[in-house]
Amino acid sequence: MEMQRREFIKAAVAAGAVPVLAAEGGKQATVVVVHGKDLVKMLNLGVAKLGGWGAFIHKGDKVAIKPNVAWYSTPAQGANTAPELVRECVLQAEKAGAEKIDIPENPCAPEKKAFPQSGVQDALKGTKARLFRPNARDGYRAVDVPKGKVCKTAEVPNEILDADCLINMPVAKHHGGATLSLSMKNWMGSVSNKTRRGWHRDGLHQCIADFSTFLKPKLVVIDASRIMLDHGPQGPGTLAYPDEIILSTDPVAADAYAATLFKHKPFDIGYIKIGHEMGIGCGDLSKVNVVRIEA
Amino acid sequence: MKKNLIRLTVFLLCALLALNLFLPDGAKPFSLFLPRVSPLLSFAGALGARRFAGWLCLFGVPLLLLAFFKQRWFCWHVCPMGFAAEMVGKLNKRGAGHIRRVPSLNKALALLVVGSAVAGYPVFLWLDPLCIFNGFFAALRKPFLWMSCATAAGFLLILLASVAAPNIWCHRLCPLGGLQELVGMPWKRFKSRKTAQKAVSDNASPLDAHASRRLFLGILGSGVAGAGARFALGAGKPAVLRPPGAVKLSFNALCARCGNCMRACPYGLLVPDLGKSGIDGLCTPVVAFRHLDPYQEQYCFQDCKACTEVCPTGALAPLTVEQKHERPLGIAVVDRAKCVAWAEKQYCVVCQEYCPYQAVREVERNGVMCPEIDAAKCRGCGACESACPADPIAIIVNPLPQK
Repeated sequence: MEMQRREFIKAAVAAGAVPVLAAEGGKQATVVVVHGKDLVKMLNLGVAKLGGWGAFIHKGDKVAIKPNVAWYSTPAQGANTAPELVRECVLQAEKAGAEKIDIPENPCAPEKKAFPQSGVQDALKGTKARLFRPNARDGYRAVDVPKGKVCKTAEVPNEILDADCLINMPVAKHHGGATLSLSMKNWMGSVSNKTRRGWHRDGLHQCIADFSTFLKPKLVVIDASRIMLDHGPQGPGTLAYPDEIILSTDPVAADAYAATLFKHKPFDIGYIKIGHEMGIGCGDLSKVNVVRIEA
Repeated sequence: MKKNLIRLTVFLLCALLALNLFLPDGAKPFSLFLPRVSPLLSFAGALGARRFAGWLCLFGVPLLLLAFFKQRWFCWHVCPMGFAAEMVGKLNKRGAGHIRRVPSLNKALALLVVGSAVAGYPVFLWLDPLCIFNGFFAALRKPFLWMSCATAAGFLLILLASVAAPNIWCHRLCPLGGLQELVGMPWKRFKSRKTAQKAVSDNASPLDAHASRRLFLGILGSGVAGAGARFALGAGKPAVLRPPGAVKLSFNALCARCGNCMRACPYGLLVPDLGKSGIDGLCTPVVAFRHLDPYQEQYCFQDCKACTEVCPTGALAPLTVEQKHERPLGIAVVDRAKCVAWAEKQYCVVCQEYCPYQAVREVERNGVMCPEIDAAKCRGCGACESACPADPIAIIVNPLPQK
């Protein structure tokens, strides 16, 4: 642990990790893109660029993390968030004095299969984080989505609603229904089955955007170390290796950048376009300050 | 008195273990092994399924050996079903003689089971008492379903019959008892001949000839009966969704209704059939999706083969994960009029998302992706059916047409 921290500080100094909190030069949002192989180092560098863990997690906070652990799939197959990223985020939250770290996940494959196979369950051993499927009876609360055009109510896990610090940590991948699964889409792995089925029936892209008018993560970290180009979201599919993670406080901007890794124009993805138009964030990359760091 | 104390202890022990009270979550309940103790079930099952069910068959050997030397010692000292039947029979004080008018069918039934098993279609296999006892407890599985109580019916029926006519089960009907009598015959005769030789000269041979002829005719007759039943009942069945590894034609015969598979399924997908597969298919397991909770996304998980591991007869063949991936349960069919992608131009294809076998192709119509089934890849696991958001549901797994 001590060694890691020292290494991290060295690396941070080398990369010139001066926080870019406000968007610079008339830009509307900042996206930090960290390129490298060591996800732990990349995550810490990226967060440092956004002001450091202290800017997001305070002592006594209830922290909720939403990785993607939806599928019976190994880390190498790229259907789930890399376990190292989730673990490091949990360790940093512990270090920052988080009172509680919850990882509620409503997976598509049975949780007893998906959680171990994803590597995330094992990666959390020895931490105080709790990875679990919310109980269908009392694990969710129905909330209003006042700004929603189609999605007006949603059932959301209690721990997500009660979190002081909410971190969205998806994996970037192809998605049959939504074209791409990125950060805004990731909430579908959180809400109840009833809610997410409604979204498919009523207008998927609009509902994804609607929900993001309501649920605002403090930090978005998109795992694009490897990205699934087809047969998503479950895979196995063809993989590409951008070796990047994408960090932002603006989910629309983060998704817009991530879409370019798949050679998509951001506004070709329905929920990014709608999210931009609804003012959730900035999906126009010409107005986004993209900061690149090499780790 | 001491004898009954032992029997009570065995009964309670079997019941407690079958209830799975002491085992950690995920451990296989004792009841999964209990039916195999019966040689009737394990050997006639293996014979009928034409498959040596591995070393688990050997569970039946001790009882067979015991029967050879001691005939029905097991029945009067151990059998939990027999104990329960005898005890409730005592409630009927005036009924002791009622069974005198009932012919003894034990041996005939045992012969019928074994002989028809040789023909590949064991009839009345499900009359095995250990299996019936086990089925009672299998009904108390998690998650609890009223429907699965059907597997408890045999136990309750025996108790009811035993109240009406005490001892009718053990003394007149039980085929496991009959099997033990048959197996014990040679040794018993050998012993009695020795004692008889001491007393009188030679008086047993004409009796012997009769018995052997009856035995021979019995086996022949039951073989013919089995072949006939296979011919009459096996073919032309309405197709239903069976658990993975289910044998095709003789499933209704080979299935002992012990309830093990229903209890083993971690997703609660197996329920007793209440008539869809014909009268001879009552209480056999069928696959049902969305029956517990329509919002629960549970399907026959691709790498799970729990049900095939616990079948005592070979009605469900034990499968490797690779074999399971090759064997379809059924085939999914999209109803385009109900599908939100086809009919309402919605971005959905949840079926494509969930399919573990990549058997749902996306085709673009009117600017949205719509699902189509690739029949060569579909395994009928029900992932699509269990997750389909359309209302009414637009993708259903149908049974495979029988060949």
